[in-house]
Amino acid sequence: MVITSQFKLPTEEELAVPELNVSAAAFATGAFHLGKYCEEPCKEFMLCRDELGDPRKCLSEGKQVTACGLEFFKKVKKSCLAEFIQYEKCLVSSSSNYEYARCRKTQNVFDECVKTHIGVERPRPFYFCEPKIHDSKRPKPPTAEYPVYGDATPKLPEEKLKEAKTTFERQGIFDAGRPL
Amino acid sequence: MSKAVAPPQDLPPPGGFGKVSYEKVPHRTFFNGSRIALTAFVSYAVGSVLYTMSCQRLKKIYLEQKSGQIATQPFLLAERDRQLLRQMRRNRDAEAELMKDVEGWEVGTLYGTPVFSTLGENEWVEYSAQSYYAHADPQDRMEYENSSHWL
Repeated sequence: MVITSQFKLPTEEELAVPELNVSAAAFATGAFHLGKYCEEPCKEFMLCRDELGDPRKCLSEGKQVTACGLEFFKKVKKSCLAEFIQYEKCLVSSSSNYEYARCRKTQNVFDECVKTHIGVERPRPFYFCEPKIHDSKRPKPPTAEYPVYGDATPKLPEEKLKEAKTTFERQGIFDAGRPL
Repeated sequence: MSKAVAPPQDLPPPGGFGKVSYEKVPHRTFFNGSRIALTAFVSYAVGSVLYTMSCQRLKKIYLEQKSGQIATQPFLLAERDRQLLRQMRRNRDAEAELMKDVEGWEVGTLYGTPVFSTLGENEWVEYSAQSYYAHADPQDRMEYENSSHWL
């Protein structure tokens, strides 16, 4: 369709990594601890994905994210399986969208277990909705340069720009931003 | 012959009938203007307090749900990216296999004319669902596109 033969794509071997083979309910159950446990790789991956806008360039970061998630779920399975299943059952059967507000009792039990065995404390409820600042080692991609056209309308002389104090004085009534 | 007795006539009671009451008799009312105004004010005040409280409660629930979804997003996106790239390669191979007998056909172009003329060869373009399901069962694509209607 739109992919030509010059378009570079990774091979199947490069993409073959053990995937997180868990259900949506398990994801929702472990979401907060998972996000906290894998915060750094997640931030790195999402920043890369957002800045470069190309999945091919963020494959290694994505693999790190998946490996970290797999590590977390393995740890949970090893030490907190009963509490995890109890919490998951509550979430699944209490509402249609895994509402956390309805399962505080089982959640506290699971939180305690994760805190003692894995060492991850549950972040505050709106933690992941807050903006994050991440300092990446990857160099910043260059910003897009706008083309310069030779036949563009010339700017106003500098003296006139200095004299004028408001946008209306500079541009008259043909200012799009002028309040009507 | 005895005297004929007059039959009893249907006459008004002594003293005549009472007056016909035709005027409207109003009920005893509790509400007057100031009481109506007071009731409205009290109900608006109580209602706005309860409304604000439930708005805050629902917003907290919504934000916590959203927070959980945002926490899991990188994992889903990483997996989705890998699957997308895998399928893109498969689609390209399938197209080359399908059109190998057509003379002058180049993969990803219409007889050598590229779809996007201003983009470079290796530049990323968002891959549409139509392209993704190009060589798949049409029923699968329908399921993907209509799945949101069932939610």
